[in-house]
Amino acid sequence: MVAGFARLGAAWRGTGLACKFRAPGAPCAGILKPVNSSLDPLAVNSPATDADVLSQAHLCMAAAGHFDELRAAVPPKAGGPNSAGPESAINSVAARADFTGAWGQFFANMEASTSAELDSRAASLQRQIRDNGVTYNVYADAEGPQRPWSLDLFPLVVDAPSWQHIEAGVQQRMRLLEAVMADVYGPQTFLAQGLLPPALVHGHPGYLRAMAGVRPVGGRHLHVTAFDLARGPDGNWWVVGQRCQAPSGLGYLLENRLAVSRQFPQAFQALKVQRLASTYRALMDSLKAHSPAGADAHIALLTPGPYNETYFEHAYLARYLGLSLVEGSDLIVRDERLFLKTLRGLVPVHGLLKRVDDQYLDPLELRPDSTLGVPGLLQAIRAGNVLVANAPGSAFLESPALLGFLPALAQHALGEDLRLPALPTWWCGERSAMEDALSRLREHTIKPTYPGSAIHTSFESVIGNTLGQTALDAWAGRIMRQSEDHTVQAYMPLSQMPTWHSAGPGQPGAMVARSVLLRVFAVSDGQDAAGRPRWRVLPGGLARVAGTSADIASMQRGGSSADVWALTEGEVDTTTLLPAALTPAVLAQRKRLVTSRAAENLYWLGRYTERSENTARLAALTLDCLGGEEQSSAPLLQWLSQMAVANTLVLPGTPSAVQARRVFERTLVASLASAEGATSVGFNVRALKMTAATVRERLSQEHWHTIVRAEETLFHQSARLAAQGDYAPAQALRVLGDLSDQLAAITGAQTDRMTRDDGWRLLSIGRHVERLHFLASALARSFETGAVDTDGGFEALLTLFDSTITFHAQYQQSRDIAALTDLLVLDRDNPRSLGWVAHTLRGRLAKLALSPAGELSSMSLQVPNPDSWDLAQLCETPEGEPSAPALRNLLDDLSECAFAVSEDISTTYFTHSGQTKQSVGT
Amino acid sequence: MLLQVTHHTRYDYQPAVETAQHVAYLQPLQHAGQNLLSHTLTIHPQPAQQRNTLDVYGNTRSFFSLQVPHPVLEVQAMSIVSTSAHALPESEQPWEQLRDRLRYQAHTPFEAASEFVFASPFVPRRQEFAGYARPSFGAGASVLDVAVDLMERIHTDFIYESESTQINTPALQALEQRKGVCQDFAHIMLAGLRSMGLPARYVSGYLLTQPAPGEVKLVGSDASHAWVSVYVGDLPEGQRWVDLDPTNNRWGWFAPGVDYVTVATGRDFGDVSPLRGVIHGGASHTLTVGVTVEDIRGDNHQSAPAAEATQTQSQSQGGSQSQSQGAII
Repeated sequence: MVAGFARLGAAWRGTGLACKFRAPGAPCAGILKPVNSSLDPLAVNSPATDADVLSQAHLCMAAAGHFDELRAAVPPKAGGPNSAGPESAINSVAARADFTGAWGQFFANMEASTSAELDSRAASLQRQIRDNGVTYNVYADAEGPQRPWSLDLFPLVVDAPSWQHIEAGVQQRMRLLEAVMADVYGPQTFLAQGLLPPALVHGHPGYLRAMAGVRPVGGRHLHVTAFDLARGPDGNWWVVGQRCQAPSGLGYLLENRLAVSRQFPQAFQALKVQRLASTYRALMDSLKAHSPAGADAHIALLTPGPYNETYFEHAYLARYLGLSLVEGSDLIVRDERLFLKTLRGLVPVHGLLKRVDDQYLDPLELRPDSTLGVPGLLQAIRAGNVLVANAPGSAFLESPALLGFLPALAQHALGEDLRLPALPTWWCGERSAMEDALSRLREHTIKPTYPGSAIHTSFESVIGNTLGQTALDAWAGRIMRQSEDHTVQAYMPLSQMPTWHSAGPGQPGAMVARSVLLRVFAVSDGQDAAGRPRWRVLPGGLARVAGTSADIASMQRGGSSADVWALTEGEVDTTTLLPAALTPAVLAQRKRLVTSRAAENLYWLGRYTERSENTARLAALTLDCLGGEEQSSAPLLQWLSQMAVANTLVLPGTPSAVQARRVFERTLVASLASAEGATSVGFNVRALKMTAATVRERLSQEHWHTIVRAEETLFHQSARLAAQGDYAPAQALRVLGDLSDQLAAITGAQTDRMTRDDGWRLLSIGRHVERLHFLASALARSFETGAVDTDGGFEALLTLFDSTITFHAQYQQSRDIAALTDLLVLDRDNPRSLGWVAHTLRGRLAKLALSPAGELSSMSLQVPNPDSWDLAQLCETPEGEPSAPALRNLLDDLSECAFAVSEDISTTYFTHSGQTKQSVGT
Repeated sequence: MLLQVTHHTRYDYQPAVETAQHVAYLQPLQHAGQNLLSHTLTIHPQPAQQRNTLDVYGNTRSFFSLQVPHPVLEVQAMSIVSTSAHALPESEQPWEQLRDRLRYQAHTPFEAASEFVFASPFVPRRQEFAGYARPSFGAGASVLDVAVDLMERIHTDFIYESESTQINTPALQALEQRKGVCQDFAHIMLAGLRSMGLPARYVSGYLLTQPAPGEVKLVGSDASHAWVSVYVGDLPEGQRWVDLDPTNNRWGWFAPGVDYVTVATGRDFGDVSPLRGVIHGGASHTLTVGVTVEDIRGDNHQSAPAAEATQTQSQSQGGSQSQSQGAII
């Protein structure tokens, strides 16, 4: 789902900011159907040393009908007829102490005995989450669906026998899913033999025709897959669904593990919780081994960007795994190969761990409106030049309808029964299944076969027992009319685990039981001895905890997460992925990868900052001149009008100040920062802020806050004055004055608070390109209009060049063109003189990456060299000609070179489309 | 017939496009009623990379990428095909029988044509289409009869109006308006057939048009065309697709007639659009398309230049954009 697009940019440029929100799969459950082996919990009597917390634990019971994780049993329904069975013969007080061995051990090693102690740990846990959020969630203040990550204090403990069962079951399912992928994108025998309905493959939007017949590089389609498991009242784990195309959680669960294990260090040791690091390492090794470059492969994590709600997980995971974090616009395909655009040229990329949904991967062949993908990526994949995990086209595996066909496929493809069953599922597109399902609607769940599809009937899952007869009949009618779009799944109450609820200051917290759904991950792990793909199940996972009610529907609203402790009977694996000491090679690598996107945004940050300053000064100058007591001369008004149109302070077609002075003035004031469609100063300041947001991590906190305040103040004050109907030039001048102060602070932060690397150089180049163009064209227009020859125009020019004080100190009341040219064009000490700007620009360009060392690059040579400018020659006016032709030519050259340099920088560093200058690979 | 097709596309960009990647579906197919004699694709500026491959349906697609700034892109496809006439197919297969045969039942054999029963991006599954189509589906009527009847009804009920819809107009909107262009009629007919359980696919191509009596045929006055192909299950294996053109109310085996040129088949327009691409740069562009179909064996191949169809489109900003050129008939 694309929630929206925002576009920004002046006439020269645009930046697409896409926003994509992906809701987690709707969890669901089914009725009890005991099939797999029942668990054998070791009941122990907990030591009674901990009166407070333990007595809370004794009172913490699962709701009737739900499996109780603490005791491995189902509490009876109060006085209900079903309470007589042997398995539910749990009776009041005595049974309540019968914690499973694992939970008993957990409480014994918890090192906390009172609610107050657990409350303080919960607070410390929250603090840690918040602090980490600050570290990696750098966009917390940008608009977007951000919310704090919610994590419970207690882990979900899964004992070793249960875990081994899950592990073996998930590995078997991975072998099957890989076989299905290989067949569907290969010979399609499962379809031909009627084992798989075409409606769930060809009819599913997730089946990608562009991948038909393609064997991915390395031979494997699936590298990371998530399974949602639910534990039924019988104690067995059931598969509820699977996520293949871009499963989330691998970063969150790491974060959860670090935070929760720190709160219970002794219990973590005592319970022999299996560690996670070696599985992540196995995944990385396997991705590299499958990629076309082997062990030296450059693998990147492809994210939809900072506006994705799970972005902080992408950043976290990329850092943990040592991957480049990239967006689609960072990448480019050339000759069916994938490259990362960097300031130093194109760097080959051999593998992508993707967090972008399939449909958005390649706007050339898939969704054309996607700004998240890379045009040509599918061609690179088909050519075998890049590994993408998972191979595009796995989304059809996520349909709940598929679950019902997997047992027969397992028999056919593996010759095995599935060890880990899925909830019984009926796809209504098969007539007999539909008839069966229709008779069961009341106690089952109705799910969409094609969730989120725009071309099918899609809806929120509903649980039959929450519906009245009329509603049930209506659903039955819908199912009969559009049978293929509906899937019916058994409903099962979820197991419940203890969670800690802090009540707030002064109130003791409480232990309460909450429904839980377990997400586990299988990752690629090389090949077995026979060359078949092998998978490893991450020992742990992401537990998703329901909110207040036991009802599943509330999982998505107000749900929380918990760490998952998978216990081992063997050795605890102590591999670590914490980075070794930084080597010079690693440091060099980091320096090398300044992406073109970051560089481009910095360049535009420089341009918009300068443009904001220039337009604010021009607007203030114009209002001053118009409001002055003396009538300004016609040439001056002409000049100001032209400058206002050229810098979009007013739109073309607005009567000039010469024709209608007050109309011009009112229009200028009203346009400064109008709420909608601002083109003037407001537009530039807003663009400045939006560009700054994209390079937020490079800016100091003060720098960023000044930018935010400048934009807010400008628009707020303008809106207030406009609403009062009182937006007079005098007020506008005050608003512009405030803005100037803030822009000066921003400039200070840019020149004095940023590391002077290539990124900063581009920012500075952006400022100087903008300044060169603005000042050169202002001076040129003053000659064209004759404003320079009037007293008022002469003074106005000095003001615009911010050089009034210097000029009068040097030349007193002179109105001499030569004096003006000396200060505004030739002076090398005046940062507003064109000579100074040109000189600085040449220097910065020469120092940029890709420039030959020790000599000026072709780009810097495009800027006229101020060393060759001569005052006498520039000011010479032949008889009968307009004044100073040489100077005017120079001004035109300077304006033009600003455009040329901007084009060159863009093609060389940002789009890499320069024919001769491009440098490919290293 | 011996037909020569010239399909000329020109994009003028303002400012110049920096890099671009395109995919073209412009090479006519080879089939029992059509023989492709020659085909050339000329692209300016010279692509940095170009590659022809077959897509999943056997159409030829041509990928090309441009890596230098260019203010103009010109793509010209020149093809010569010979077409041959065929008798109309004979089939009595009742439509319900075909529908039921393609419906999934465990362990029953699978027919590849069932792929064309499903909804596709331009042909969503909606009750409205079934509602419109149903009157054509008499009990026990043959697949051919219901398809021809539906074609005739669309031809009668709908107004052809070239400016009434955009390339991305959903078929549903065209159904409500009862007007559109050939592409809309094809999508509506596909939706109607599929909603009743019959497989149908989209065909893109060209149609030879005759100038009015006494007038000279103009170069570039033709356009891309689109029609549908329906699956008739009891025809000989490999010859089961029958083409129907709701825009002109004509139908036939392999093609609606010898004056048709088939370029590509797919689920809908999105699978086979003649030229689509992703460009970087170029805030606005002007698209000019000219198609000329000539009978080069007949007498009528004297053509005079005509103004080509031009459409101007302005995007809000630069950055990357997708663009797609549609069938314009």
